[in-house]
Amino acid sequence: MKLPRFEFKIVANLALITGLVMGGLAAVAQGYFNVQPPVGEGVCFVTHPSNLVNWIVNTVFGTEFTIHGIFIAVPVLTPIGAIIGSMIAAWRNKEFRLRRGPVRENLLAFILGFLIINFGLLWGSCPIRTAVLSSYGMLFAMLILLVIVVGVIAASEYIKWRVRRM
Amino acid sequence: MIGVVTLVVGLIIGYMGQRSRFCTISGIRDFYLVRDTYRLKGLFGIIIGGVLGFSIFSLVGGDFPGFPLLPDGLNIEPLILIPLSVVGAFFMAFFSVMSEGCPFRQHVMAGEGRISGMMYIGGLVVGVIFFDVVIVPYLQLLTLLG
Repeated sequence: MKLPRFEFKIVANLALITGLVMGGLAAVAQGYFNVQPPVGEGVCFVTHPSNLVNWIVNTVFGTEFTIHGIFIAVPVLTPIGAIIGSMIAAWRNKEFRLRRGPVRENLLAFILGFLIINFGLLWGSCPIRTAVLSSYGMLFAMLILLVIVVGVIAASEYIKWRVRRM
Repeated sequence: MIGVVTLVVGLIIGYMGQRSRFCTISGIRDFYLVRDTYRLKGLFGIIIGGVLGFSIFSLVGGDFPGFPLLPDGLNIEPLILIPLSVVGAFFMAFFSVMSEGCPFRQHVMAGEGRISGMMYIGGLVVGVIFFDVVIVPYLQLLTLLG
């Protein structure tokens, strides 16, 4: 008689682990390496690129664009790190190659980057930092997280409507 | 030190973001359109990781002023910042769906060789300067009036 084989498989949700690491790193960066004020500033892909660009422009052209106090002397390098980290990961797994997409038109991608940073700076955080600020207990960030959900739903409905019209 | 810390944080999350296809905006979109929860769990991961991190590290000497901010409630000054933030967040989310990912995901895609990701970052750089030159003076005016 053959006994049934049981296989135990732990399927790790890498996105969940990445999220956990991001939240944890945001706390470590703030709590132990003083990446503050403002609070919850450990990871942000709206204010960090903006601070980095402003730091470079201020240094090269002598302008006085706004930079968070902690990033005045030394530039914030999270965006550069993320690009290099992603490049290393893609290279190691033989996934790195120049290719088009996901936005079909390059000009459209440029315009979207332009619009998103402007709207993002109006709120002052990317969705990741909004989630970090929510975990810090900021009620307004929790409300903004809901607004982000509404924005995503509106865009999804718009895409569905456009597909139906085609 | 700040430069090294932020570079290391960026390297770690950039590497993990490429392997996991992590994206906050796509997580919400995937769940809404096809009930796929894979990437949405990443968003919940940030909140859980943040709550655990801030709570645990504040017990062992971490510097977290005012944590948790919950008792402060909706104490936003000046009030004009509330509608501006809501409009900003709504359209950031709306256009992020159109660009197939949140700002972090675009950095990751640029790193793995996606040309539209690189163009997006080009637009982002120009957008920052536009914001400084054109939008900030109006914001200062609105803040004074508000």
